Amino acid sequence: MKYYNWIVLGFLVAILMCGVFFIYSASSIKIGDNLTTENYFIKQIIWIFISFLLLFAIIKTPLQIIDIAIIPLYIISVIALIIVLFLPEINGSHRWFSLGFISFQPSELAKLSVVLLVAKSISKPFIRDVEILRNAFLILIMPLILILLEPDLGTALTLIVSVIAILTVSDLPIFYLLILISPIFSIITSFSIYVYIFYIAILVLILFRANLSKIIIGFTVVFNSFFFFITPVIWNGLKEYQQNRILSFINPMRNPFGSGYQIIQSKIAIGSGGIFGKGYLLGSQKNLNFIPEHHTDFIFSVIGEEFGFLGCLFLLSLLFLFFYNLMKIIVDLKRNEFRFGAVGIFSYLLFQILINVGMNIGIMPTTGIPLPFVSYGGSSLLMNILGIGLILKYFNEKSIFK
Amino acid sequence: MYKKQQLSKILFLMLSIIFLALITALLNLQIVQYEKYKRTAENNFLRIKINYPIRGEIYDCNFESIAVNKSSYNLYISPGKIKDKKKVVKFVSENFSLKSEKVDKIIYNNRFRLFQEILLVQNIKFDDMIKASEVLNYYPSLFFKNEAIREYKYPNHFSGYIGRINEKEYGKLQEEGYSINSFLGKNGLEKFYEATLRGKNGYKIVQVDASGKNLQFFKHNLDRPAIDGSDLVLTIDNRLQNYISSIFPENKNGAIIVMNTKTGGILSYVSKPDFDLNIFSNNIATKDWNELINNPNKPMLDRAILGTYPPGSVYKPLTAILGLEKGLIQEDTKLAECKGGLTFGERYFKCWWEEGHGALNVTDAIKYSCDVFFYDLSTKFSLEDFEEYSKKWKLHGKTGIDLPSERAGFFPTRKWYVDNYGKYVGILGQKVNLAIGQGEILTTPLQICAFYTALANHGSWLQPHFLMKTISSKQTDVVLPNKIDIQISDNSIEIIEDALYKVVNTAYGTGSNAKISEATVFGKTGSAENHMGEKTHAWFAGYTNCEKDNIAFVVFLENAGHGGSIAAPLAKKIVNYYLKL
Repeated sequence: MKYYNWIVLGFLVAILMCGVFFIYSASSIKIGDNLTTENYFIKQIIWIFISFLLLFAIIKTPLQIIDIAIIPLYIISVIALIIVLFLPEINGSHRWFSLGFISFQPSELAKLSVVLLVAKSISKPFIRDVEILRNAFLILIMPLILILLEPDLGTALTLIVSVIAILTVSDLPIFYLLILISPIFSIITSFSIYVYIFYIAILVLILFRANLSKIIIGFTVVFNSFFFFITPVIWNGLKEYQQNRILSFINPMRNPFGSGYQIIQSKIAIGSGGIFGKGYLLGSQKNLNFIPEHHTDFIFSVIGEEFGFLGCLFLLSLLFLFFYNLMKIIVDLKRNEFRFGAVGIFSYLLFQILINVGMNIGIMPTTGIPLPFVSYGGSSLLMNILGIGLILKYFNEKSIFK
Repeated sequence: MYKKQQLSKILFLMLSIIFLALITALLNLQIVQYEKYKRTAENNFLRIKINYPIRGEIYDCNFESIAVNKSSYNLYISPGKIKDKKKVVKFVSENFSLKSEKVDKIIYNNRFRLFQEILLVQNIKFDDMIKASEVLNYYPSLFFKNEAIREYKYPNHFSGYIGRINEKEYGKLQEEGYSINSFLGKNGLEKFYEATLRGKNGYKIVQVDASGKNLQFFKHNLDRPAIDGSDLVLTIDNRLQNYISSIFPENKNGAIIVMNTKTGGILSYVSKPDFDLNIFSNNIATKDWNELINNPNKPMLDRAILGTYPPGSVYKPLTAILGLEKGLIQEDTKLAECKGGLTFGERYFKCWWEEGHGALNVTDAIKYSCDVFFYDLSTKFSLEDFEEYSKKWKLHGKTGIDLPSERAGFFPTRKWYVDNYGKYVGILGQKVNLAIGQGEILTTPLQICAFYTALANHGSWLQPHFLMKTISSKQTDVVLPNKIDIQISDNSIEIIEDALYKVVNTAYGTGSNAKISEATVFGKTGSAENHMGEKTHAWFAGYTNCEKDNIAFVVFLENAGHGGSIAAPLAKKIVNYYLKL
């Protein structure tokens, strides 16, 4: 007899139903009494149905098979990421396989398989720190570069965050992570050599205090200097429009026609929703087409506009409780491999929520990441639910050994 | 060792921080700043008003116009305001001679751009506009605007034309500020200098209420004025251009180019047949379009750079330079005696003069255009040497003229022969033909013109170009000539120049039809055999020595006959006209 965690599943279904409810509004335009709707909410229901079939199938599948499937899954996703680069671009990037009425993002599969493979590869007993770092790096690098080539900065960031999250909860000493993320500061400080020297001095001091070997400290300095010197070279090598794209990624308001315009409109929609919102189907920003991509990336702004602060609070609470219960499962997982994989899935879902809602309320850059479980979107919905399915599967295994 | 408490703490911390941050930001947006956003949303929001720049115009070297903007009445539609689509389509197609399927397609393509203005018909006659305006209140989705459209002063192949942006281009160029109604250069200079001509969009972020009052909710410094496109001033001289157009033999296809030998600037660029460029801005009718596309004479083909032809004897100066520079012949070396041809291996190669020229030196061989001399010369150099000289003198390879596309011509290599004729191809026999500019060699008329410019400059090759300067409201940028110095000895170039002089200016020279008294003309005729027809292509290429800036020219007529009798007289007229300017 399999043992299901009905609390997690219950919250998941509730969130998914909210999603369908909002997609219906987001894909409708109501002006006066004239209502036109596109059939996205029906498609979403079909996708949810298919996803749940697969979720239960995963729970029934023997663990050995899942374990064997991880490496082939990783290889398939890398190949798919390569192929997708040669397909014609859709909306300015090579992210989708388009099969007639449905489309599929290979980067969704890549997220899951990278997390699982990293978890598997670093959970051997008595593994050395250096090996952990090397494995994680080798597994991450190929998919990461391919996703950056698409280009899909948002998903690439998600991938990095989930791998760093796994490393954080692994047995790896914390200062290795410090070394790993230190180049980010080198890139930021590359505008001034004095600031950079000051930063490197502090970094070296911290590492000395942590009693690290001279070789590792030396490597860190070289590693950082490389980024310090290469950044201006790359930056000056970029064309003006490319520089502008990066600058407006960091600060959308630089580009009031593209991303800036979307964010201004999204903020107005959410802000004007107030406490109680304008009512279901009645968002004026949405109905007048001021918000772009209503049913996918900007669905949160429709919720904010039509149901106000209370609606947002309700949805966020559902999400919080869902993640809280998921977390309780995860901390109980005894096997390292399961726990690391589950933390990876947990953190990329959570990060996507932060990025998406943050983008909608104008505190994060525009990245084209949908809101997990709520936004319309075939492949991302499927992969997210399958991720939850895997965590539930691990939970199941645990309960057997009890 | 796994510590459950620690992981619990980390995950819970992550979770709480993220949700707290989001809820705090939402509180700020929806409760603290509610009033501000509510007013913005209610009061008709903020709009970005784009000011489109005025496209730069194109002038000739005397500031006479070539492509200018003229005022036009255009019909627009807002798809969101359409009530009865069928009625609108019928009205537009009946009143503005536009096919109903086309109107239907435009509306369909823009069905999601509910609140944008989409251009339907351009260049509407004033009377039609007045007539339609009377009933326009029945069609709230339609309205007129008075805007500028492009007008081209005469048919030509260099200015190119602008056309409405298509969905694919729009997808690519949207970020650079093109609108769905934009026009952009589709061809020629309009395309090559698109960025210069177009200018930059200006924009204004307006936050207005229904009564038009400025609300200023967001403080910003994002407004930019439009920067109009720069005007292009070309090296073209409209007077010469139109004169050459008018003397171009009727019903003949070909190209005539005149270049300034000091700057490389193109004074005249005629390719015939040509077509009226204005049909593209006047909603081209399908009938006209089909006529243009299916015309067997291909009026849309720019023969000066996109047509490649066997050059025939105008190529011979290069063969002679190769012989002289490599020391294979001297000024007075006489090669095989011409008895109307030369037997080579098992093949007999004819000279164009069946009675035979006798044994000639290089100067006379060029003057009489004797083929046998060059046949014999070809046995003394390798194919690779010939290719090297072809490339060095830029008779093979793109000239880099400021037009969007250009063909490189063709020179067969040893590998090409082996690939196409098999391992046992007789390269020596092929080379005999190449030496007189026949065989597989193909050049564009522009390459020939640039070659004679380089001869005129004793080895300084100048990149042909149209643009003399750009003029914007702020500054004028003058284009400097792009020069390549080709190594050649004084002795060799003097011999060649002397020969080209004799072609035109001495008795029995093949180009004596181009002789004039007011200036010295140097030149070379060509009558190239080809696969396109029975008659030879007529070529005449050369340059002048006169009191004004010297010019180089090429006259090329497809299947028109002999260069000396057909092309040279045209060159004479052109030089005469130029001298009187």
